[in-house]
Amino acid sequence: MGEHRLGAEEVRGLYDGHGPALVAYASTFVTDRAAAEDVVHQVFLRLLSKEVVIPDMPVAYVYRAVRNAALNARRSGWRDAPLDPENCVFEHRGGNREAALALQKALAELPEEQREAVIMRMWSGLTLEEVAAVSGVPLNTAASRYRYALEKLRGKLQPYRRK
Amino acid sequence: MDSHDEEFEQYLGEFDPRRPRALPAAVGSRRVWPQRLAAAAAITIAMGTSLWMFHGKSSNERNSSAANSNAAADSTTTGRRMSLAALTQMALHDPAQLDAELAEASRRMLPDFRRSDSTLRVLAKE
Repeated sequence: MGEHRLGAEEVRGLYDGHGPALVAYASTFVTDRAAAEDVVHQVFLRLLSKEVVIPDMPVAYVYRAVRNAALNARRSGWRDAPLDPENCVFEHRGGNREAALALQKALAELPEEQREAVIMRMWSGLTLEEVAAVSGVPLNTAASRYRYALEKLRGKLQPYRRK
Repeated sequence: MDSHDEEFEQYLGEFDPRRPRALPAAVGSRRVWPQRLAAAAAITIAMGTSLWMFHGKSSNERNSSAANSNAAADSTTTGRRMSLAALTQMALHDPAQLDAELAEASRRMLPDFRRSDSTLRVLAKE
């Protein structure tokens, strides 16, 4: 198992592929969207500066690093912002802003491992096998987490689907 | 995964996380130039300090050598310099030896007036 430093192009590729999902993930810890972006930037700027040696799975590293940075930000008293349409990290293609806000709120209310599984699968585009590898759990565990997360989200978003 | 899950996945697919602002373009160079600047400043300060110290030391040496030429001459025979205590002991126990030592020391420390171009001879002629 090797460790290495990512080149600038690799870091930017990682940011393009996973940046939006990571901001959504960070925003479940710090509700201010700008703060969530700052957290993600902080992680990627460290990667760009080549201060960080990362393991084989860069995605696993960035998820862990964003989680830790977001928790640090929370602990250091980053103020929570009200969850409003301007502050929402999701956009609904049909323009349903209420549903987008409800999704963000519902994600934040999920247990952390379920939230992580659904964000990685849905918005980082990872397979369940990759989610399992990134989370360091067996495939069955990752699949269960994902299924439970969908079930809870479905319940909470049901009212918005009818509109 | 049942059909309900797949249907709900499709629904979730209607939501996109907003793209965050772009990463700064030149992070690498921005992080490198302060280090280079700091290194250059450190080298400049080190060189400046050593030059200043060297200059100060050499000018002090010039001044002191001009003022203390006799002492400088004496310093070449530091091994023969005797302490006050030793001279006192010698005066008490061996006055002849003390005289010899003082005569030797005066030859080393005082200007030689026996040379034809010595200051004393020149002044005497005038």
